[in-house]
Amino acid sequence: MTALLARFRRKPKPQNDESYYTAGQLALIKARFKRKTSGVVAAWILATLVLMGFFAGFFSPVDPTIRGADAEYRRGVPQPIFFWDDNGFSLRPFTYTYTKAKSKIDLKALAGGGLDALDAFTASGALTSSSQNRFEVDKEQRRYLQFFVKGWEYSLIDLSVGGLNLDLRWDRHLFGVEQGQIHLMGTDEDGKDVFSRTLHAIWVTISIAIVALVVKLFVSLFVGGVSGYFGGRVDTIMMSITEAVRVIPPIPIYLACAVALAQLDLTPVQRYFAIALVIGALDFATLGRRLRTHILTERNQDYVLAAQLCGSGTWRIIWRHLIPSFTSYIIVDTLINFPYVILAETSLSFLGLGLTEPVNSLGVLLQKAQDPDIQQNMIWQFFPVLVFVCLIMAFVFVGDALRDAADPYSEKK
Amino acid sequence: MNVSRNLLEIRDLTIDFHTDEGRVRAVENLNLSIRPGEVMGLVGESGSGKSITAKSIMRLAPGNAVIQHPSQITLNHQGQEVNILKLRGRDLRLVRGDAVSMIFQEPMASFAPAIRISDQIIQTMQIHLGYDKDQARRAGIELFDRVGIVDPAKRFDQYVFELSGGMRQRAMIAMALSTQPKLLIADEPTTALDVTIQAQVLELMMELREQLGMAMLFITHDLGVVSKIADNVTVMQRGEVVEAGSADRVLFQPQHPYTQRLLDALPHLENLPEAPQHTPQPLLSVKDLSISYPVSGNGRKTELFTAVKNISLDLPEGQIIGLVGESGSGKTSLGKAMLGAAPISSGHVEYHHTKKKVKFGAGKAVKRKRLARTAQLVFQDPYSSLNPRMTVRDIIAEPLEAMRLTKNREETDQRVIEVAQRCHIEVEHLRRFPHAFSGGQRQRISIARALVCKPRFIVADESVAALDVSIQAEILSLLKQLKDELGLTILFISHDLSVIANLCDWVCVMRYGELVEQGTVRQIFLDPQQDYTQKLIASIPLLNSPEGRSQRSPSLLQVAEQFAGSGLNYSQLERI
Amino acid sequence: MMQFLSDTWLLWILLSVGGLLWWSGRDSQYFHYVFNRYLLALATLLLVSGIVFSLMEVLPGDCAEKYIAYKNTQGETITQADIQAERVRMGLDKSLPERWGRWVTNLTLRGDLGFSCAKRQSVNLALGNRFWMSFMFCIAGLVFAYLIAVPFGILSAFTINKSWRDTNPQHSKAEQLFGTAILSLQKMVDLLLRIISYLGLALPNFLLALTIILLYVFAGEPMPTGLFSDQWANVPWFGVDGFSTGKLYDFLGHIWLPIFVIGWSATALQLQTVRALVVDESNKLYVDAARARGVDGVALWAGYPVRHSISPLFNSIGFDFQRVFNDLPIVAVVIGLTDSAALLIEALSMTNDQELAAGILFLVALVVISMNFITDVVLAAIDPRVRKSVLGN
Repeated sequence: MTALLARFRRKPKPQNDESYYTAGQLALIKARFKRKTSGVVAAWILATLVLMGFFAGFFSPVDPTIRGADAEYRRGVPQPIFFWDDNGFSLRPFTYTYTKAKSKIDLKALAGGGLDALDAFTASGALTSSSQNRFEVDKEQRRYLQFFVKGWEYSLIDLSVGGLNLDLRWDRHLFGVEQGQIHLMGTDEDGKDVFSRTLHAIWVTISIAIVALVVKLFVSLFVGGVSGYFGGRVDTIMMSITEAVRVIPPIPIYLACAVALAQLDLTPVQRYFAIALVIGALDFATLGRRLRTHILTERNQDYVLAAQLCGSGTWRIIWRHLIPSFTSYIIVDTLINFPYVILAETSLSFLGLGLTEPVNSLGVLLQKAQDPDIQQNMIWQFFPVLVFVCLIMAFVFVGDALRDAADPYSEKK
Repeated sequence: MNVSRNLLEIRDLTIDFHTDEGRVRAVENLNLSIRPGEVMGLVGESGSGKSITAKSIMRLAPGNAVIQHPSQITLNHQGQEVNILKLRGRDLRLVRGDAVSMIFQEPMASFAPAIRISDQIIQTMQIHLGYDKDQARRAGIELFDRVGIVDPAKRFDQYVFELSGGMRQRAMIAMALSTQPKLLIADEPTTALDVTIQAQVLELMMELREQLGMAMLFITHDLGVVSKIADNVTVMQRGEVVEAGSADRVLFQPQHPYTQRLLDALPHLENLPEAPQHTPQPLLSVKDLSISYPVSGNGRKTELFTAVKNISLDLPEGQIIGLVGESGSGKTSLGKAMLGAAPISSGHVEYHHTKKKVKFGAGKAVKRKRLARTAQLVFQDPYSSLNPRMTVRDIIAEPLEAMRLTKNREETDQRVIEVAQRCHIEVEHLRRFPHAFSGGQRQRISIARALVCKPRFIVADESVAALDVSIQAEILSLLKQLKDELGLTILFISHDLSVIANLCDWVCVMRYGELVEQGTVRQIFLDPQQDYTQKLIASIPLLNSPEGRSQRSPSLLQVAEQFAGSGLNYSQLERI
Repeated sequence: MMQFLSDTWLLWILLSVGGLLWWSGRDSQYFHYVFNRYLLALATLLLVSGIVFSLMEVLPGDCAEKYIAYKNTQGETITQADIQAERVRMGLDKSLPERWGRWVTNLTLRGDLGFSCAKRQSVNLALGNRFWMSFMFCIAGLVFAYLIAVPFGILSAFTINKSWRDTNPQHSKAEQLFGTAILSLQKMVDLLLRIISYLGLALPNFLLALTIILLYVFAGEPMPTGLFSDQWANVPWFGVDGFSTGKLYDFLGHIWLPIFVIGWSATALQLQTVRALVVDESNKLYVDAARARGVDGVALWAGYPVRHSISPLFNSIGFDFQRVFNDLPIVAVVIGLTDSAALLIEALSMTNDQELAAGILFLVALVVISMNFITDVVLAAIDPRVRKSVLGN
């Protein structure tokens, strides 16, 4: 039956559509991917997030580092954008002016009255942290949003290699407000803008994942390639080691390595790469095994024998036949693994062993969610959590749709 | 014949498939009727809609198949007309086992692998006959005995993979018969089997039919098989019936050119080619060749499996040599060994009259590039033998580029276009990827690749086995043409004796890794010397002459018709 | 004599099990396979112990330093020479392979996992029942995952090839309408399940735990962290008036959180696995063949595709356990558990207690390897497909 169906699927292509026939593997995957609505939607969301993360400087209105911290607006609530309010409609979106509330401590009463007054004072909550983020909104004083405003200077793309200075810098931002800063998602306890921090964190996290995945790819390719190509005793030894590594839970291992890294005196950038390296290098078991099986099956395919009989040498077979046969597979697998690597990074940062403040990474920002103070009084600091979940969901959906579109084993006839 | 007496009647059956490219019509306005006790042969190639028709009768059409409106399938069950397409829920059991049952093409895949055959058969009997477990078990073992399974009580409790190919199909038949159906649908029941076993299974089915008198819908692509068993034949092409009628009429006075083409593909033993006047020079000689593969024997130590034992053979130049044998006879290993692609454990292969000496064997490594310019292979599977990530041009050019036989790209392209035209591949198609082609076209590409470096010898390993009969014929005529034009020597490996008979000049027969017999086509097919060859030739499903067919007892057919619909079961019939 | 036996008891058990299997395997293919599999498991364990032990070397500091540092707090003045002497006493001056050799020897002789410097007692004692606690958490989480994933995964597989609408021209208009309603309902359930399972993959465990805790905070209820609330923590299970049911209720009120949290992402993964397995099996010809014999309804689904997908599912239990344990440490930190996973985090990131961490990781690997061994052996015994592939015919 399947043969029959497959036949029907193949045959009735419209003759004039030459593109189908001349389409390579990746083009076919793309065409099949486009049929999955959920995957396409997720891909757009993902692309938007990644783009915003990559050009975080442009998209964020406030400098996310301590330099840009708003000392006057610590622990500040989000400043939403309005188009209209009681005072009328405005085509240009605006926000209000927020000023820090002065704590109204009745000093006189406190000085004069005994315990009663003290009790009342404590009960009023003036000393609790929640009172510290009380702000007054001046609805009369609108601050209008401006686009492409001049602001702090940032590096758009840094192409500097070696001594070459190709750091492209810019100081325009997508939006900002007149007078002061806008904090779309509020600020944290230092007055740093949560929205801008989150945008910057996206790219940090994704770039760690990219580095980790590239390292992982090389290690897996080495393990799988050597094992699959040489076979025999080499294969047995390599696979026993892989099997042993697969058995040990990875997060504790990452932890141990992270602790060891903490001993070394590393700059944040070095630390960043070291962590990516550790995550990537230790995660070779699954992909390595798969690549090995893939090479083993692919090596026994008729077309490889055909190439041999055509007089192709070993390197030509590897280069022209074997490697192309799993590039699409590797690309898909890498994309599918993105969320898991990100999860590993965030888990480490969450435990305080990955990246740490003041670096912006999603893990670092997520770690704050653990703080009861933030849980109770600064719920807006959960914004990175939301972005994080969206990002991972988008990755998972895209990965899943891709897997369906490019099932590496589906084309075996 | 009164229409209402038909056991099964299909009227205006139209089936569409929902596919990625939209609706595809699989069957168009099919009409078919089967009388009680009649064997209807349904003939067609893959994609002709014959399997889906059979499945619709049992309401097993896949989810994306839509049976369009005026279609009607009626079953005459105990005097009542039942509209099969309207059946629902439990009532479906009427066509799923009760009155109709089915034999599938692949017995291995149609038994659940992790459930004993006995349990599957007992379950079926419990559903349809209401037997208790012991009763069903006894009946099942009896059935196994009846379909010719040796040691039925033991085999009954085994798993499907523990049986051999022929046994599996017998078990499948036993399973289908276990519910005492009135109509048995057999979907290519013998296609996956070796010739000799195919003959045995056909024999068994004919015997059972005579004994049980049930009607049968016999689906196949092989007219030879049909001629042995069917009373009436319906020929389908691309979802439509092109010819229908009594077997004698359709097979001996075909009206439609398509039927004629199918008939042409059968072996014609009466006009086999004459042997050439003088025996040509040998192109290559095989001396005392043995081939052994290491197999892991139960994990204790690796054992050697000897696929080919001590074969010596000369292949005459400029001829098509057929190498015949059943599965496991070592024919493919021998073919690959001639191309240096099998582990030779003793003996050697030598090509004569080559520019540089080509000789290899045990302890003498293959000079790959020299050999590649002399001998090439055309694979069995047109799908896996072409790299899906290369364009047709790159695939064909591979030998030229790998061995740097051309000076520049223009020359390569020139050679590729030349050979593509010779193999009837359109030049515009060279930019395409293999996935855009059907099996026959792919096989042409495979042949073009083999020919591009102008070899003198080609091994075609079951190269048409995966193709439909009419496409087979095209490829075969291409091979013949190439042999004549280029003076090629072709070793054609096949299990299919009909193909060999139509194509080859010289035939070698192999069994269990040994060469049984060799000779010209005429010698082998008309005057086989060895027992095994005789058996093999005798099991070719040839067209039975009308005289031969009439020997089948017509009385039984009438008896069956008489009793049809009266709730008679086969045990009663047997006593008559 | 008794002393000798009690010092080497584990070795004798391992040897006698091996011997027994070897003896049985002389004329039984099955036991021969089991014996081979047993040797393989032991070899993997050895390899794992090597990897774990050498990995722990990267943790800074060693036992001698810590021990001396401890003494330091007692008011003794310590010199570099003292540390060196202590190192020699503890055997820490030896090379890595030597120390590993000693560790493995003690382990295989009497199941001794070494000495925890931070706790200053043997690892076995320091762990006590805590490893069992983690083990039970993981198992409970897995059971939770299977209980949800298996039925719903099957349900999901059931709907995969169906369309949203019933357009069968053989059905009447009313039938089509009814059919469409049923199909839509099934597809909705399937969609919901898929979203939940994706969410389970996307939402890391610690976030889930945090969210739940946060909900408690908002509701103003006491947080269900730890194993007991303060009120019951020190009440014995068996008090003066018999078994303390109050403590049991309190325990159950807390225990569900870690189980739910670690079960959640396992469920998501299992849901997808079950679905893929069942879909895979249900597309096979034998299911159609069974249908053609009149097998239908539950008997068809339970007897054919589901029955055939159980083996691979069962086979993956070992690695499922590993995955669940992998998540446990962070969850333990968030929820405030005191099991071996929390101990592991403590040993790794705070006290740098190499042998304790190595001990715990080794135990996890031991569980995974034993589970893999058991599932392989059991499957070879009961599933004819596996038997065929591992034993030959």
